[in-house]
Amino acid sequence: MTTLDTRPIHDEVPGNYLTFRRGILSWILTLDHKRIGVMYLVAVLTSFFVGGVMALLVRTKLLFPGEVEWMTADQYNKAFTLHGAIMVFLVIVPSIPAALGNFVLPIMLGAKDVAFPRMNLFSFYLWVLGAICAVYSLLAGGFDTGWTFYTPYSSQFGAGGTIPVLVGVFILGFSSIFTGVNFIVTIHKLRPPGMTWFRMPLFLWALYATAIIQVIATPVLGITLAMLVIERAFNIGIFDPSMGGDPVLFQHFFWFYSHPAVYIMILPGMGIISEIIAVHSHRHIFGFRFIAFSSIAIAIFSFLVWGHHMFTSGQSPLLNVLFSAITFSVAIPSAVKVFNWLATLYKGSISLNTAMWYGLAFIFLFTIGGLTGIPLAVLSTDIHLHDTYFVVAHFHYVMMGSALIAMIGGLHHWWPKMTGRMFNETWGQIACALVFVGFNMTFFTQFMLGSQGMPRRYYAYQPEFQIYHHISTGGSYIMGLGFVITAIYLIHSLFAGKKAPANPWGGASLEWQCTSPPPHDNFATTPRVGDCYDFSAVSWDEKQQGYVVDVEAHVAAAQSGKAH
Amino acid sequence: MSHSAPHADHHADHHAHGDHAKYPFLAHHFDTPLQQFESGKLGMWVFLATEVLFFGALFVMYAILRFKDPQVFSYAANYLDTILGGINTCVLILSSLTMAVAVRAAQTNKKGLLSLCLALTLAGAIGFLVIKYFEYTHKFHLNLKWGQAFYQPADEATAAAVKVEPKPVENPVLAIASPNPSAGAAPAALTALPPADKTAIAAPKTGPDGVATAQMVAATDATVHASHPEGAHLMDPTMPPNTHRFFAIYYLMTGLHGIHVLIGVGVIGWLFLGSLRGRYSSDYYTPVDLVGLYWHVVDLVWIFLFPLFYLIH
Amino acid sequence: MTNLITTVLMQSSSDPALAAGEGTTPKTFWLPEGASTFASQNDWVFNFINYINYFFFFLVVGLMFYFVWKYRQKGREVYARGPSHNTVLELGWTILPTLIVVVIFFMGFRGFVSMKSVPANAYQIDVTALRYGWVFKYPNGATSEDLYVPAGKPVKLVMRSEDVLHSLYIRDFRVKQDVVPGRYTTMWFQADAPTEGDKFHWLFCTEFCGVGHSNMNRKVYVLNEMDFGNWVVEQGRWLDKIAPEELYSKAGPKLFARCAGCHTLDGKAGTGPSWGNYDGSGNIWERTSKSGSAHKVGGKSVSDLIGNGKQYETPEGYLRASILNPNEHIVDGFGPAMPTFKGQLNDKAIDALIGMMKHLDEFDAKGNFVGKK
Repeated sequence: MTTLDTRPIHDEVPGNYLTFRRGILSWILTLDHKRIGVMYLVAVLTSFFVGGVMALLVRTKLLFPGEVEWMTADQYNKAFTLHGAIMVFLVIVPSIPAALGNFVLPIMLGAKDVAFPRMNLFSFYLWVLGAICAVYSLLAGGFDTGWTFYTPYSSQFGAGGTIPVLVGVFILGFSSIFTGVNFIVTIHKLRPPGMTWFRMPLFLWALYATAIIQVIATPVLGITLAMLVIERAFNIGIFDPSMGGDPVLFQHFFWFYSHPAVYIMILPGMGIISEIIAVHSHRHIFGFRFIAFSSIAIAIFSFLVWGHHMFTSGQSPLLNVLFSAITFSVAIPSAVKVFNWLATLYKGSISLNTAMWYGLAFIFLFTIGGLTGIPLAVLSTDIHLHDTYFVVAHFHYVMMGSALIAMIGGLHHWWPKMTGRMFNETWGQIACALVFVGFNMTFFTQFMLGSQGMPRRYYAYQPEFQIYHHISTGGSYIMGLGFVITAIYLIHSLFAGKKAPANPWGGASLEWQCTSPPPHDNFATTPRVGDCYDFSAVSWDEKQQGYVVDVEAHVAAAQSGKAH
Repeated sequence: MSHSAPHADHHADHHAHGDHAKYPFLAHHFDTPLQQFESGKLGMWVFLATEVLFFGALFVMYAILRFKDPQVFSYAANYLDTILGGINTCVLILSSLTMAVAVRAAQTNKKGLLSLCLALTLAGAIGFLVIKYFEYTHKFHLNLKWGQAFYQPADEATAAAVKVEPKPVENPVLAIASPNPSAGAAPAALTALPPADKTAIAAPKTGPDGVATAQMVAATDATVHASHPEGAHLMDPTMPPNTHRFFAIYYLMTGLHGIHVLIGVGVIGWLFLGSLRGRYSSDYYTPVDLVGLYWHVVDLVWIFLFPLFYLIH
Repeated sequence: MTNLITTVLMQSSSDPALAAGEGTTPKTFWLPEGASTFASQNDWVFNFINYINYFFFFLVVGLMFYFVWKYRQKGREVYARGPSHNTVLELGWTILPTLIVVVIFFMGFRGFVSMKSVPANAYQIDVTALRYGWVFKYPNGATSEDLYVPAGKPVKLVMRSEDVLHSLYIRDFRVKQDVVPGRYTTMWFQADAPTEGDKFHWLFCTEFCGVGHSNMNRKVYVLNEMDFGNWVVEQGRWLDKIAPEELYSKAGPKLFARCAGCHTLDGKAGTGPSWGNYDGSGNIWERTSKSGSAHKVGGKSVSDLIGNGKQYETPEGYLRASILNPNEHIVDGFGPAMPTFKGQLNDKAIDALIGMMKHLDEFDAKGNFVGKK
């Protein structure tokens, strides 16, 4: 049992990015992608807790099938809308790209920073501004339209805070766009010699595909929300039927962004899982090229399927058929990635660290989430399931059970690198188990609720559904406990965690070849690139209590043409 | 520094510390000026792709509105002044030309020409905005606005001439009897309402699809026509229903474009001031190049807007 | 686990919403009872997909757990030599799922086509959705709050909304269609088994529409042809069969049901002004009919609108206009949220409601008639 190491974390490794300059100004005016990533992380995780509290409020109300005194229907509507809007726009969309990606991407790539550091900081402040608008909207009366803002409810009714939150989301969109621009240029232009596209780790492929979607889809959201604000403020009549407008047109514009948006949420998560599974199995990833190409394919196809959110909206049957058919084209690459990860486990040497537990949880939960997308993509069954809890369960399995779990897994995987500290593995695994069990309790029952016909966004419900709601709410509390424990041991590690070696898990990509935490400039000399999934040159160093990579051997192995 | 600058200096090791000393504009995270320049260029192109999608969504909206109500677009385009629009187009195209010359001047280290061309571009941009200002105020004067404001009379004379105030609140769909092939027995009293207080339930005259049309005036008032020779639109019995949608999309698109021109004024102004201080040379002219790209795209958007609104009848 | 399932099933079997009988499929673990001709075919597809999903889920998760156990790290072994690609396998596991989903797509497509092809002889019912209720209008002009349909005949619903998006969902029939303002949407179904006694099928609104979204539940009754014929005729004439002096007590509460979403009877706040006394100027009849009433409408006192030579001769006229053209005069402190009831309430219905307002003290807070005290 080591004695508590009470030195502040930054001091162990002289000259790391945390000690580089001190004081609050050096943080809020920083151009260092690592610090920006950390600021994003704090911001995103804080929003996650706020959104989570909203969810717990909603779930607590749903213990009771009828009206309750302590929450009116209007407050309930605002609670679930706030939960959705915070989680989608403030948490999941930025979480992996902006928080983890900003930190990891340049180091993993072998660069000193992203291509446009000032734009990076600007993106962060745009996020903050968007969050401020969202908070202001709460003070202005809240908003209750659902995170999807369907017209004409959002253009003609809706609570007083609707316009401020729409403005906030518009601003958040630009935060996302600029991050995307930054990543695309960084990956194209700042690769060191030897880092060809096919030497690039899969997390970076995933971030690249995500950035393409961010750049192409988000402007459409921006315009759509701007039009909604103008419609609401000036009643110009594009969505208002009494002025000759078409409310369903809003849905088309909205989903044209929001469907690709869900791939912004999941693709980086899949990238993280590729890294976690390969590193913690100490084994070359199976099917590198397929996984890389499938990310790009998903990015492209995601633009063609938005209408599958609108099968019952009154759009023409022909459109319904087309969208249903094309939706399967997006499903197949995702499924095949799961098989690739399974095959990576085969003949691996699997260490069950907390990050790996999260990776395995991802495979379990994403399988369920993906498979339950099938009855939703199939026309005749979707008619019954649309707008019921079945859809709610499906998207929570993929957005929370997959994307968010991947983010937390990535957080654990790179925590030693980011902070220079190890967290307590035992508590990590306990918390992971609580989150996993709680999650399934919460959301698997919702599949049954939905297929039995309970509609979504319901404040009150028929008593026959109550037993499912009780289980679901119980699960949500367990899950909440798991997240609270996670926060506790992670924060605790900042003060009292064991010092982290440069390479605690045995990874072979470039970020493991610099110190934990990394120096301000990432690399003193231009890093030398090998095959990031080739672990032949990795070995355990007892003195460091970490792994080391023999760089010469690593590079030589790659150059001798070991196929991947 | 010409574009044909060859080999990527990416392979240079960090003796490129020397590069950083040699090129004070070279940021610390780039190895060579070429890498920095190419990154900036790529970044600007990617950003312009987002702009294309930003406007693209509005072009799609235009197409949908036009497809639904083609007669509205043919009719309402008459209210736009083609001459002013044409002047604006020329102004923008010329400003794009001066911008391109400015970039070339920076590349060839002609600092005086650079400043001059930037000033001319700036003048063109401001000129565009001035002409737009006149166009807009003229329309506001005639109440050719968006939404319900479109149907408010512009002044007392027109208000007097328009007998019934249009009320687009009632859902016109309700007024349509649903086709009912299985209707058997005589419909009950539900469908027919005995007239009670007529004044209380004054029904607006609704067009087949949406808002009240302008068929309100039995006799046109000659004095109103004289004072507004362009035609108070509310007085025009040939105005198709839903004409307000033309103006909605017109203001949306030209307004968004105008905002981009205004941003351009700011950025080109910043470039101009920098050029006066000698910041740009053949070694480093990246900002001029990138702003030039932005300005050309802004111009390009207008080149699509102009025919779509002003020219097609 | 079995206890759980039993509990769930037992709880629901005492629910009057279940209608047992031939032409229906029973409630299963995943799906409610099926009571339309679509149910059996769609449920078959759903179950087929479910079994495929179970197979792949157990395959993936089973392999995952097996590999994690079998290939766990020994010591600090750090370089595992496993295959990094296998073209045959990769092609195989791409092509096989593709074939499966193509098959599934066609199954869904076929079911969808039949759901979209409305038979020519379908019995048409017009539906109006509003915040917060439904009005079903039959060919003879009869209207109803709940949906009554004939058994054994295809039924087509032609739907429109008064205000925002709604969605009509009858879960036992497996049908759902959004109801859009400004246009008509249609759907059809055929239910073969009549509902017995009190039993009914639930009809839900499934597109978020505001605070009353979960309060729009209505009942669907399936009646055999003869019963249905009788019902429609009775329903059409129900107002006519009530004596005028009993109109307000018998018809009032039934009609009030569609006002209750926004108007309370006891002075409590709601989307619209309560019919009871909420501001000291009396209940709705008192504050409308008393001359010199302090009740304000559009900035003016209501008594400025009512009287000889004024816009409305009588308070009844004003109230009638408020029902048929509600946005003409909006009570101070409220917004333009009320939809018009023109086309849904005939003269008798309006008389009944105005009568109810005049005799408000004879009704309880829920709108039930309790008689003079």
